[in-house]
Amino acid sequence: MYLNILKRDLKRKKTMNIILLLFTILASIFVASGLSNVVTIMNGTDYFLDKAGIGDYVVITQNGNGGVLDLLKESKNVENYRMENCYWATKDNIKINNSSLKNENNTLVIQSIANKGIRYFLPDNSELTEINKGEIYVPASFLEKNAVKIGDKLQINLQDLNVEVTIAGEFKDALLGSDMMKSTRLIISEEDYKVFDQNEKMKPYQGCLYYIDTNNEKELTSELAQLSNILFNSGRSTIKLSYVMEMIVAMIVLVLSICLIIVAFVILKFVITFSIIEEFREIGVMKAIGIGNRKIRSLYIIKYFFIAIVGGIIGFIISIPFGSMLIKSVSQKMVLGNDSGIMLNIIGSLIVIGLMVGFTYLCTSKVKKFSPVDAIRNGETGERYKKKSLYSLSKAHTNPAMYMAINDVLSSHKRFITIILSFFLSSVFVFGLVLVVDTMKSKNLITVFGKESDIYITDSKIMNIELLGQEGNENLEEKYKEIEKDLADNGMPGQVSMEVWFKYNCYVDSKFYALTFQQNTKSKASDYEYIEGFAPEKVNEIAITPQISNKIGAKIGDIITIDFGVEKMDCMVVGYFQSMNQIGEVIRLHEDAPTSMEHAIAMMAFQIDFDDNPNEKEINKRIERIKELYAIEEVYDAAGYCTNTVGVIGTLEAVGLLLLIITCIVVVLVTVLMERSFISDETGKIALLKALGFKDRFILKWHIYRFMLVGILAEILAVALTVPITKLWCDPIWRMMGALKIKYCFNPLCLLVIYPGIILIITFAAVTITALYTKKISSRDMGNIE
Amino acid sequence: MANILEVKDLCKTYVVNKRQNNVLKNVSFEIEAGDMVAIMGPSGSGKSTLLYTVSGMDTPTSGRVLFDGRDLTSLKANELASVRLNDMGFIFQQMYMVKNLTILDNILLPAMEGKKENESRKDKVNRAKELMRKLSIIDIADNDINEVSGGQLQRACICRSMINKPKLLFADEPTGALNRAASAEVMDELVKLNQEGTTIMMVTHDAKVAAKCKRVLYFVDGNIKGEYVAPVDEELSLADKERRLNNWLMDLGW
Repeated sequence: MYLNILKRDLKRKKTMNIILLLFTILASIFVASGLSNVVTIMNGTDYFLDKAGIGDYVVITQNGNGGVLDLLKESKNVENYRMENCYWATKDNIKINNSSLKNENNTLVIQSIANKGIRYFLPDNSELTEINKGEIYVPASFLEKNAVKIGDKLQINLQDLNVEVTIAGEFKDALLGSDMMKSTRLIISEEDYKVFDQNEKMKPYQGCLYYIDTNNEKELTSELAQLSNILFNSGRSTIKLSYVMEMIVAMIVLVLSICLIIVAFVILKFVITFSIIEEFREIGVMKAIGIGNRKIRSLYIIKYFFIAIVGGIIGFIISIPFGSMLIKSVSQKMVLGNDSGIMLNIIGSLIVIGLMVGFTYLCTSKVKKFSPVDAIRNGETGERYKKKSLYSLSKAHTNPAMYMAINDVLSSHKRFITIILSFFLSSVFVFGLVLVVDTMKSKNLITVFGKESDIYITDSKIMNIELLGQEGNENLEEKYKEIEKDLADNGMPGQVSMEVWFKYNCYVDSKFYALTFQQNTKSKASDYEYIEGFAPEKVNEIAITPQISNKIGAKIGDIITIDFGVEKMDCMVVGYFQSMNQIGEVIRLHEDAPTSMEHAIAMMAFQIDFDDNPNEKEINKRIERIKELYAIEEVYDAAGYCTNTVGVIGTLEAVGLLLLIITCIVVVLVTVLMERSFISDETGKIALLKALGFKDRFILKWHIYRFMLVGILAEILAVALTVPITKLWCDPIWRMMGALKIKYCFNPLCLLVIYPGIILIITFAAVTITALYTKKISSRDMGNIE
Repeated sequence: MANILEVKDLCKTYVVNKRQNNVLKNVSFEIEAGDMVAIMGPSGSGKSTLLYTVSGMDTPTSGRVLFDGRDLTSLKANELASVRLNDMGFIFQQMYMVKNLTILDNILLPAMEGKKENESRKDKVNRAKELMRKLSIIDIADNDINEVSGGQLQRACICRSMINKPKLLFADEPTGALNRAASAEVMDELVKLNQEGTTIMMVTHDAKVAAKCKRVLYFVDGNIKGEYVAPVDEELSLADKERRLNNWLMDLGW
């Protein structure tokens, strides 16, 4: 008999049951894929580095191995190591289809597939093991940056040795895959590599990469500090940090997954409660004829369990491609994964089924509290009296349809809070990402990279490698004068400077460190920003970052002995500053500190400060003129320089678009399903109004106003809370990258108009189309009224 | 007096599971302005269907309905809605009200949407309150619909039906869900309204209720079987009127 009741119920209340099923599927998709993604992302870079076999420590050398190999063989701090040989190149050594590479500013590392020390992965995450003669594999970022594709021909020219190869595919590189490493690996066949390897002229371009398993990183670092020719040496934690930008994206996907899970549960709880409330009269009748509480509850639990099973299975199936789609956006450069396979998806779906049954059990617990008469007469909450309406038509100054909408929201606030919460959660992270991207694209970040200037030139045609090295100081001075003269001759007089990075050994409390130093000899150290203390005003004063302070244990007032080569100098720490260079591990020198370009490891950009303080429009014109003057492309204003330096903005914008699409889909689904359930609940009310002479247009307006009111409220809340919520999840990420205090750039057009506008337009379209269903309700349906 | 409602050869057929059910069969009658007409008949005879069809809530299969000179059968849905809102009033057996509005707001709602009178909002509110005072329910103006008795609720429905000064008031079993005392109160109010000039057409089972009307149409199997005109003798008691009506109904097979 009870099976018959269940069958009839499923048939009779088709609409509500379908709505409930759809929400269950939605919840299952979000929870199952979300859980899988959370675990995958939490595994994050460790999973990738372990899979690649990076080890605990990495050393990269130029100009041969510089004694590193001998040290590794003898050191008691080394358990094991793997070695790769390579040749260093720049974009001037490579042509694509006989044209130069315009956008490639990274140093290029050319390697043979036969000599790999770690594993490289293809886009499907299988291992790259073979490359045929005449082929080359490149990272995806190389393809993107240089606008090339698989099948294009690449010409490598080193010391007049030429090799032509065809791009056969892309691969993922655990060590150099992140833009922050500023190097791009290109892998060719053993046969093609021999063309360079067999020639003595190539020796200065030789380099080595070592992947070391060590039990004492600090000691190993100390041992390596004595050696020259080391371009990079650092532990796994630094390599992990280099993926911090990609992990931002991954964290955003993780947060989105969590938000979707919360939305799913909020909606599910509401829909179950709502649909059970609908059936209070039936419950009352059953109680009146003597059916026990337990039997009544079991009837509903079985019904919702059945719906949950079906919804859970369908949701689980869809969650697999859905989760993969979300993860794909972050795993272009990394191998992200977890070893649980689809188990997590299954667990997620089971959680939804369990929760649905749990919600049903909780919602039907009210059954035992009320008498049959209460349940029949009052339905709903079982309370005898409803709350008075807060907003009276007699005092309202709006039209009746708007009044009905406002009154509904105020008198049934629980159901609308559910909608507001869903819209809010979905929107606030899209807005947060837009805020982060706009901040990255603005000049707000300039002070964490250096000092603000009018124009920055980073093109390698100007910033050529000959500026580094023994005669670098003279060459640099000449270059400054040359550029200043060119600018003056073209009516743009100004000062040219550059921030250079140096690597020097230093001692703190008799502990030895090899650290990175920043200096701009043409600008005062006091032109930069500091977060505590003072700018270095004397030659023997320095400023450090909090990261350096933690690393070497130095504070303001402490002394660090720096070995400049020509002299050792005791320098006092006088201030702290924040920097995203080297993920915050840098020290600022006074402009007159005795540095030499011989120890320089990198140049940031030629910075131009015009004498006549041009406005933004004029600066943009001058950028074009400088591009023309030198036939170069990479000339930027402060905001452009930040964008270029951060590098991951393209990915973030793509993720932002994906988030926006997902948000719109969630908004449409929630709107359609909730509106449909409201119509189902209000059939009698709508029929009554039609009987009294209210037109279809009135009903439509009432329903649309109602949803738009909550939509607008949700968007206002989301916009208002975007900055504080973004600070909550993004400030720790900035801190990881070296920036302690970031001023967010709130773009009013995007955050007040475009994005909320898109979401509201989608809401309007969804509710309008769904509300058209009310036209089918006629006065005859008045019998459905409570 | 001019006819406010003229029904000519009205038919209504429902098709259920491919079977035709002729609920109204060539019904014809008129109602004059100021009349109070009761439609009586056994269950399933088509009384409520007649009410909903002549009021424009349902569309007839064939025939004509002339309301105040306008052919309702030729009007579009929006025009019909406009006529119902501005020129008709409805009282339902189940006292349907909008749940989350107070009694006063339920009464006011049609006035706020109606376009008949060129009144300010304040005037409409005052008129609603005046109606409520007249029907002795002003004290429950701010109550929710669950906080009042059945009789009070039905009187509120009467106020709602009167707010736009309708030309014709339709009532479908207005006392069907009320006890005897409340029924008597509601009928007294309807009679008063009719005496003040409101034309009323009601469906009822109750001879006591019908006895208060000027005319009774006996409806059987989708058509009018007979028409009873109440005696105009004012000295006749209600009990006598009721007796005469009952005799007439019994003659017709009630």
